[in-house]
Amino acid sequence: MEENAWSWIFQLLGRLHPVAVHFPIGLLIVALFLEALTLNGKRPDLREGINWMVYLGAASAALAAGLGWFLRTFDDYSGDLVQLHQNLGIATAVLSIIAAFLLQKTNAGKLSNFFAYRSLLVLSVISLTITGHLGASLTHGEDFLSSVLPENSNPYDDSRGVALLAQLNPLDSLSETELDDLNLEVRAIFAHNCYQCHSENKQKGELVLENKRGVFQGGKSGKVIVAGHPKDSELYRRISLSSNDDDVMPKKGKVLKKNEVALIKLWIEKGAHWSDRALKVFPEAALALSKPVLPASSEQVHPVDKLLHVYFEKNGITWPALVDDKTFIRRAYLDIVGLLPAPDAIIQFVDNQDANKRTQLVDRLLADNRNYTQHWLSFWNDLLRNDYSGTGFITGGRKQVTDWLYKSLLENKPYNGMVKELINPTPASEGFIKGIEWRGVVNASQRTEMQAAQNIGQSLLGVNVKCASCHNSFVSNLTLDQAYGFASIFADSVMELNRCDIPTGKMAQVSFLYPELGSVEADSLKERLLKLSEVIVKPENGRLYRTIANRIWQRLMGRGFIEPLDEMDKTPWDADLLDWLAADFIESGYDLKQLMRTIMTSKAYQLPTVSYEKLEQVKSARYVFNGPIVRRMSAEQFSDAVSQVIAPVYYAAAYNPSGDQLSSNRVWHRERKFDRDVLPEPGTRCFRYTFTLTDQEIINAQALISVDHSYSFYLNESKVAEGNDWRKASKLDLTKFLKSGENVIAIEGTNEGPIANPAGILFAMKIRQKDKAETTIQSAGGEGWKSTNVSPGKEWLSIAFDDSGWDNVRNYGSMQWDQLLAFTFEDNVPAYARASLVRQHPFLKALGRPSRETVATSRDDQATLLQSLELTNGAYFNQVLEEGASSWLQQYGSDGASIVDALYLKCLGRKPSNKEKDIMLSALGDTPDKEGLQDVFWATLLLPEFQFIY
Amino acid sequence: MNDHIANSRREFMKKMGAASLAAAAVSLPTASFLSSCSTAPAIRSTADTVILLWMAGGMAHTETFDPKAYTPYTKGVESKRILSSFPKVPTAVDGLYFSEGLESIGSVMDKGAIIRSYKSADLGHILHTRHQYHWHTCYEPPQSVQAPHIGAWIAKELGPVNPVIPPFIAMGQRFTVGEGEELKAFHTAGFLGSEYGPFLIPDPSSGLESVRPPQGMSVKRFEARNQLYKELANKSEAMERGSDYQRESLMRSMEQSYRLLNSPESQVFDLTQEPKEKYDIYNTGRFGLGCLTAKRLAMNGARFVSVSTEYEPFLGWDTHENGHTRVVKMKELIDGPVAQLVKDLDESGHLDRTLIVLASEFSRDALLEGRPGEKVQDQVNQPDVIEDEKFYGMHRHFTDGSSILMWGGGIKKGLVYGKTADERPCSSIENTVVIDQIHQTIYHALGIHPETNYTIEGRPFYTTPDGQGKPVLELLA
Repeated sequence: MEENAWSWIFQLLGRLHPVAVHFPIGLLIVALFLEALTLNGKRPDLREGINWMVYLGAASAALAAGLGWFLRTFDDYSGDLVQLHQNLGIATAVLSIIAAFLLQKTNAGKLSNFFAYRSLLVLSVISLTITGHLGASLTHGEDFLSSVLPENSNPYDDSRGVALLAQLNPLDSLSETELDDLNLEVRAIFAHNCYQCHSENKQKGELVLENKRGVFQGGKSGKVIVAGHPKDSELYRRISLSSNDDDVMPKKGKVLKKNEVALIKLWIEKGAHWSDRALKVFPEAALALSKPVLPASSEQVHPVDKLLHVYFEKNGITWPALVDDKTFIRRAYLDIVGLLPAPDAIIQFVDNQDANKRTQLVDRLLADNRNYTQHWLSFWNDLLRNDYSGTGFITGGRKQVTDWLYKSLLENKPYNGMVKELINPTPASEGFIKGIEWRGVVNASQRTEMQAAQNIGQSLLGVNVKCASCHNSFVSNLTLDQAYGFASIFADSVMELNRCDIPTGKMAQVSFLYPELGSVEADSLKERLLKLSEVIVKPENGRLYRTIANRIWQRLMGRGFIEPLDEMDKTPWDADLLDWLAADFIESGYDLKQLMRTIMTSKAYQLPTVSYEKLEQVKSARYVFNGPIVRRMSAEQFSDAVSQVIAPVYYAAAYNPSGDQLSSNRVWHRERKFDRDVLPEPGTRCFRYTFTLTDQEIINAQALISVDHSYSFYLNESKVAEGNDWRKASKLDLTKFLKSGENVIAIEGTNEGPIANPAGILFAMKIRQKDKAETTIQSAGGEGWKSTNVSPGKEWLSIAFDDSGWDNVRNYGSMQWDQLLAFTFEDNVPAYARASLVRQHPFLKALGRPSRETVATSRDDQATLLQSLELTNGAYFNQVLEEGASSWLQQYGSDGASIVDALYLKCLGRKPSNKEKDIMLSALGDTPDKEGLQDVFWATLLLPEFQFIY
Repeated sequence: MNDHIANSRREFMKKMGAASLAAAAVSLPTASFLSSCSTAPAIRSTADTVILLWMAGGMAHTETFDPKAYTPYTKGVESKRILSSFPKVPTAVDGLYFSEGLESIGSVMDKGAIIRSYKSADLGHILHTRHQYHWHTCYEPPQSVQAPHIGAWIAKELGPVNPVIPPFIAMGQRFTVGEGEELKAFHTAGFLGSEYGPFLIPDPSSGLESVRPPQGMSVKRFEARNQLYKELANKSEAMERGSDYQRESLMRSMEQSYRLLNSPESQVFDLTQEPKEKYDIYNTGRFGLGCLTAKRLAMNGARFVSVSTEYEPFLGWDTHENGHTRVVKMKELIDGPVAQLVKDLDESGHLDRTLIVLASEFSRDALLEGRPGEKVQDQVNQPDVIEDEKFYGMHRHFTDGSSILMWGGGIKKGLVYGKTADERPCSSIENTVVIDQIHQTIYHALGIHPETNYTIEGRPFYTTPDGQGKPVLELLA
């Protein structure tokens, strides 16, 4: 709209909107109230008054909406909230006008009763109420209402202040301790109300209220405290102004409570004494465990249940019936080994009459070391920020701990031992405290020493060191000094404190966050690490064990005792049970499997899952436990389940625990652009390798080959194999193609795709000859392998062909393909790679596997659009479904009914209902084909029932 | 009131349908649950859509949009004499000159602005992706929480313009290249959650594949499959169990992807629908086709689209040798498509509400590595005297001055902002602009408050560090 001379009038009118809105609010609400009084024909004398109220109300609603439009247009309001408020405001006006119109018609006798009018009036008032609420949110902030709810209020407990005021007010002179108490209380008030704007990092008006220097130095307009004289103190003046004064502090509609103002006044009066005691503003969990005693008289047998029984009684909860066997076995499998139970296993388990069978199942699964490790590896990788790829590796600024971690889990290493080895590491476990280092200059708060402190804090101790590594924390009592003291343990030289990346000139003093556990000071880095590793695992450090117990409980039950999991100073929903678990864990010899066993054999674990409408209810501080929560399968669980049931999702692993010796490096034609090695362009390339065998008899020759994307393989001019799936390795018997003397391997390989992309040949051959040791030929290093991108004519397959003009191949490494599990001469190859061993991949990423650039202790199990797109049209997942359809057709032929039965049993652990079977069979048609099967798989795998752990 | 907004709003409502509107209303309190930023005085937006044209690899300003004295190649020329290896050419703006080969972009400069004083952060020993991370997130890596890409912030704050077009689309970059992991590290929504993450289209010519039913699946079969899924889900007794929020989010995301994949809007990715003459102008390579896709997206309701010339170490703009000849090629890649994008959007009227930004992580120089006074480790061997033409060009990384172009979405027309020195070092010497200001200018144009933040792990995380960045209001009309 054009700016014009009259726009100020519209602007003025617009600003009358906040006044005008109160007319329809008052009129229509009272009208509705009076209308209610007239129900059933009572009080007819009210009618005339109601009429006027409705007419005036409708007119004023229209007026208010109009003025609102001016306000929005001429005063630069925008945003979703404004839009919604506007739409609803207009709706209110329209509804109330219709109501008035209907009322008029009714009064005029054109309508037989008041029903239509009354309905419209009710709608108008509902619409009006919501509009009003949104309007208030616009004016006062969206948290205007919610901020006073008990859950959202800040943790400052003002009862202490009230008591202190009552105690000190009547006294004439205060003792040193009393002055200290008074000052600390005043500082607590500052912390909760003023630090947001007046801290070292956010010095509004150049005023800092966080420390002594700041408080007495004052701000831009001079000193704010005149000791002994509240009335002359700017600070006191500003906080005691009326709440609508422009100068009042704090701003944003919050004013200090009367007793808070009185305390500050008293403090100034009494000389504004500053205590040397440190201020502990935030609640802190006790370091030691409380060692709760198990209640003796309880009908419960299991210790967890005994304690939970007390909790249930306190909260008026009765024990629900436990889940059935089918639900239990699926839960237990997915929780311990991360796999679905096979149909046979389910049937056997259900039929088993042993009263102790659930405990036996848990024990049996925990004893499956390999699968336990390959499932829980993901949890630890997230927690320890360990991954097979990611930033930092390229410049040597990062190291994996995978091998150490895998072995630790496989042998169920005691947790205290794991922690010790992470903190005082061997080369295999040093990756954790080494952090991620990017090339170049790094922000002080992200130096690797600081990362070590942050990550140990977050992962192992549930304490946030990140905030304090830049400035004194505003979410805990941690100070910048403490963070630097902690980080200095890992530094090989003295660290200078930086506040918000600006050097302070102050040098850090080595110390651990919890000095009561013992000293960590020492001259050398090595000694400090040793000391810290011993101090941190002490049983007195209940925090370490409480943190891991809370995490394991959360994994198994869906919600921790404390959430967020990394904020262990928060109050658990049952402190006794948590501390008992942690203490029991210590007693068990820090045995992680035992901790899981303890939880999983309790009745608590076997309770049916509880439903919630909203995620906030689960995360709420007032959460009450009455059963586990439905969880969604993790990316890895989903992928492995698909591998189990349909077809392998992954054939290659980034970490191959079997430790095969064959190299996974691939070779291809060297491609260059501007003197630089680049990714290969699409097209066909020819490869040759010649070798000589002695004239000893050839007993046996086996080869493995895998080519990205497709190939034809020739040996001595005979075409032996071809293939087009790099994810698979073909095993070839080449015995009869070989001869003594010169041999030649020729491979015609094609790189597909529209643009340059990775391509590579992976080949290995083992030849056994009489009286002679084995000869192994591998493409991996590339020595002796020749290639060309020029079509070589027909003769190139023969030994006689002269390839001296060809290039040497280039070794493209293995990063793009990883280690094919089937690329081995040994038998007993796993059918698929567990997702936990696979490099981060778009499919897993879409399903929620975090990129482990930072510690990730919980995953988002909400579904997203990118995720459903990946599942709906992602080429990768589709290929898996297609492969599965082919193999199922081979196995089941066109027997639709048994396909459906098998699919349900394998995926959901149950038979389909008749209705479900009908739907499936009609989708499959009379003769199930690949496409039909693929679609049926898809629909089943995406069912909530498949993806959720109930 | 602006017709365009009215229009897109109407479209939006129509497409959202009553149910989603109700859902939107319900979700409001959850937004405030996360956000610690209350509704401060709102900003009136001047743009709905952002297109970022990313010149990956370090584009030398003196070879492109800020030419200096031209020294042609002669055997034996001294490196220190090379400020520009191209002559300058006039543009549509009086007194504004570009480097030869950028005539088309020059011809649309009367519709936009050039910032000649961008200074990138000093991150020491150069790692391109680290500077790129910084440019795209406004935070220097590493960070203790995952910083979101600017596109993710915008997607989070404003949502999609057209509900079936993902609000954050990133085109032209593959992640199988060197430094791929570092590239991935900033192509992310970080702590905002993957819902706001980029919809990645590495090859714009096959963009259609990512938004239509899987290859080889007919629309009929696709619909039947979806129908089967819904029926099964409804018949399953398990639908009664489990928490509403989980089930709903799963079913809702499935429904959304079905609608997207089955929507007529997916045709915007079908570049064959473009008239041949137009297509040919854009078709200079993947970047050009990315510009064409970006145009089609902007016209159909995109929120944030980036098109990259693609970063691959030592390729593209990352000229460690043959600088002159390779820049000739790079200009051929960008000049036509960028200019055409501006023209097409201008003609259709969409440029009014579409902000186009063209930028690079830093500049290059023949001699200086890093910035004057803070020289970092050399990575390129540049002889003092050039005997081989491959040493002619800008082969070192220069962080002290570079150019950013902007068009549309409220940007002043024909504006030249800031300047660099005419002699080496060609540093920014007037109205220096840093990345926080660039981000805030973009946010400002979109109506996103400068102090927008979310509380993560107990502390506020702002769009720009500490919420301190200020928009460059002089750039806006």
